[in-house]
Amino acid sequence: MPSPILTISDVRLRFGGVAALDGVEASIPEGQIVGIIGPNGAGKTTLFDCISGFRRPDSGSIVLKGGGGDVELTKRASFERTALGVGRTFQNARLFRSMPIRDILRTVQHDRMKRSGFLRSVLGVGGSVVDEREAAQRADEVLELVGLSGHADKPAMELSTGMLRLCELAAVVAVRPRLLLLDEPSSGIAQKETEALAPLLRRLTSYLGATMLLIEHDMPLIMGISDTIIAMAAGRVITSGPPEEVRAHPDVLTSYLGAKASA
Amino acid sequence: MGTTFSILSGGMVTGAVYALLAMGLVLIYKATRVPNFAYGGLACFLAFFHYNLVTGKAVTLNLDVLYLHLHWHHVFHLGFWSAFPITLVVAAAMGLLIERLVIRPFAKAPMVTMVIVTLALNLFLTGLAGQLFGTKDLVVSNKSAIFSRSPAVSLGGVNFSYERLGVVAVVLLVSAAVWAFFRFTATGLAIRAAATDRDVASLLGVSTRQLAVVSWVSGSVVAAVAGIALASVVISSNPTLLLLLSVKGFAAAIVGGMLSFPIAVLAGFGIGIGEEAVRQLLVVHDAKLFAGAPEVLTLGAVIAVLALRPSWIFKGIREDEDSGITGQAGSQEFVLARMIDPVEAYRLFRAAVPTNSAPMRRVARVLAVGVPAVLALFALTFPALPLPSFWALPANLTLIYLLVALSFVVLVGWLGQVSVAQGAFVAVGGAGVAVCANTFHLPFPLPLIGAVLVSIPVSILVGLPALRVRGLHLVVATLAFGLAAERAIIPHFSQGGVRVALPSYLRSDVTLYYFFLALTAAVFVFAMRIQRTRVGRSFFAIRDSETVAAAYGIRPVRVKLTGFVISGAIAALAGAMLTYQLGSLVESYASVGFSIQWLGNAVVGGITSIAGPLIAALLFGLYPELTKSAVSASNISHVPEMVSAVLVIVIMAVNPGGLASMSRFVRARATAHDAEVDGAPEPPVVAPVFEREEVLV
Repeated sequence: MPSPILTISDVRLRFGGVAALDGVEASIPEGQIVGIIGPNGAGKTTLFDCISGFRRPDSGSIVLKGGGGDVELTKRASFERTALGVGRTFQNARLFRSMPIRDILRTVQHDRMKRSGFLRSVLGVGGSVVDEREAAQRADEVLELVGLSGHADKPAMELSTGMLRLCELAAVVAVRPRLLLLDEPSSGIAQKETEALAPLLRRLTSYLGATMLLIEHDMPLIMGISDTIIAMAAGRVITSGPPEEVRAHPDVLTSYLGAKASA
Repeated sequence: MGTTFSILSGGMVTGAVYALLAMGLVLIYKATRVPNFAYGGLACFLAFFHYNLVTGKAVTLNLDVLYLHLHWHHVFHLGFWSAFPITLVVAAAMGLLIERLVIRPFAKAPMVTMVIVTLALNLFLTGLAGQLFGTKDLVVSNKSAIFSRSPAVSLGGVNFSYERLGVVAVVLLVSAAVWAFFRFTATGLAIRAAATDRDVASLLGVSTRQLAVVSWVSGSVVAAVAGIALASVVISSNPTLLLLLSVKGFAAAIVGGMLSFPIAVLAGFGIGIGEEAVRQLLVVHDAKLFAGAPEVLTLGAVIAVLALRPSWIFKGIREDEDSGITGQAGSQEFVLARMIDPVEAYRLFRAAVPTNSAPMRRVARVLAVGVPAVLALFALTFPALPLPSFWALPANLTLIYLLVALSFVVLVGWLGQVSVAQGAFVAVGGAGVAVCANTFHLPFPLPLIGAVLVSIPVSILVGLPALRVRGLHLVVATLAFGLAAERAIIPHFSQGGVRVALPSYLRSDVTLYYFFLALTAAVFVFAMRIQRTRVGRSFFAIRDSETVAAAYGIRPVRVKLTGFVISGAIAALAGAMLTYQLGSLVESYASVGFSIQWLGNAVVGGITSIAGPLIAALLFGLYPELTKSAVSASNISHVPEMVSAVLVIVIMAVNPGGLASMSRFVRARATAHDAEVDGAPEPPVVAPVFEREEVLV
């Protein structure tokens, strides 16, 4: 078992009277593809929001193992995540709607362009020229990788949902994260495209050498691609392990079928 | 004791009118979720209409058709109370018209679009008032005042006139009526339901369209009452003053979260009384030093309330961010939009010329290089063109307007933050120049730099509310700031205040023109570089979605403040140039009205495009300025701003990208049209320049 890149311990978050996260414990092994499954309202997206900094848990800790030491993620703002190597996609494929794809892929590399401060950028001097050129190159490279090269000049709002998903994947890959959070990459796209998604996701993780954390409702997809599955229900992790074990776990069956095991 | 009563006597009555304005705003917002920035203009127009009926307005009708000669000339000269119902009927009709023609086509538009559209409507209404009733101040004589100005009671040596007590009574009466309307009638209940959740309300059979009509009509009637009372109370007024006073109604409505009547009414009285207290305690001592102190107080109150974010303010707003965009089912096409639909024209053109052919592509390439080259040549050779002798002032003003429009493009079009405070930055720039040149005696180019530097802390101050709020609340905060700057800064530096002089080598028309041209060109290139690099992309990211931007490591706070500083610096430079051009700061170039007008012009030119300010400056700067001098100064035409206002509304309905993006828009529409014809699914085409997006907390 490789050492964990992310350790989640006792994370709790309540919305009014509802416990969205009720003491989540999990550790994500480095270099693996980890799938999160669970019925609606299990707290999967809320957990993602906590990891990516859009929500702050009431208590608990989320520790990211980093090159320069461990980082407590719950204490960091959402915009610090890219620098720490965490990238995420959204359930409803949110991007910068008015921008052409190529510009989106350059925009998301904002944090990586270290030599492009305001003045250097505007005056076009120093490292900013190199930064801009490299960003453009990487944008083209990533577009090629997801197969969107032919649509580089289309604004995001003219894309179909499937293309928007691909574009969002390209964007998050362009940031080169060490930990990739994908929230339902197959939602809203056609079955045929879903089948093509698994090889693409594998290609992207190996391109990045990253760890991938994946929320998905499409069972064949997630069971086929994941090394480890984490099953959640009612804000808790009910079990985790290799796909075939989790699939057969009685609690997972219960929470999906809604029947009490004793009944 | 006497002071207390005199503060009460003055403050209570202005406060009552603010409360009335706030109530009308809340009424419309509650039912339709439209922040009505045209409210001040509407109140102003109706007040002018009313007092023109009272003091006598000549109406002439001439009809000559073949043998039918109809001449009708009549001077209306009605008593106050016989004119009153006519004004109310006209107000109701205007509310109906506005709802039908201007508001309904935008039923599903995001908040930012509604803000710009209603600001344009405001521009139109004040222009119309100026055009119909003249630009002279409206003076309400004792005879035509709403109630007698003779003292009714005397408390502590202070007289309370019938007029003041009467206005307060009217406001309390209207408040009670509104309260009863919401408490006891079915329509009131429906509006309350719609205010909570529009979609659920319409599912339950509430006609949101009917509610919109009811609220716009009653809101306009309230505006008429408020306008008439306000004009009577302040005795002498003009459109600008009434507009500024109405901003305080907006401030009160904001304090009430745009939804709460009791809080809005109380806040109206509070602002009125607070301002009067400041006026009597400070301004009386040193009118010049403390000019604008009451407005600064209002600004402080608005910013404090927005910064503290009491729960009632954002309760209604956050919910709005989720459900407002869906609006009602059934698409309502704008008739005017269909009439000027460029797709038809484009299809005719394409039938004649095959667009994808090699010659057409060559034409496009030539245009891409040629148009900027021709423009540059035009600018460089401008002084040599056959022009009237006064060419220098229009030319220099055009360059200044270009910078003002550019500052709007950076802030509104690129960063997505609607502000109407750019005129205030013109004032800040002018003040900076005056202080640097006259107080610190800096040699010539330094005051220009000083003015830009001075604007930076001010920009950050104005940008601070933008870190927490956007859309509606930001506009109100910047309105309050613009108002405070207009009242507090400009009087110190306008004519008679200070004069700044150019160095002798720049005094000739030609050298000054080339100096300004070089400055403008430098700023223009600077903005172009921003647009094309990392900085600009971070602006667009924040505009499109703060949440997604943050997910990709873009810091909303830093990017927004950068945008505010850049746009403020550009406007301040424009103000500095203006002050050198005119010798001192001139109010009409730094007021809130000027800001609204140039925001509108920038929208027409293309608010997201670098070419937009060029188009706006040529269309609304150079052309009117060059032709203006032919018209005598006393007979100023309001037609240009009215045309601009109508164009803003049409452009927001048809193509929010403005004139500069027309070609891309036409292409998109034409492809969509063809796809539709072929039976293929229609892709989403019309670029929503402004996207509704929640504020990142």
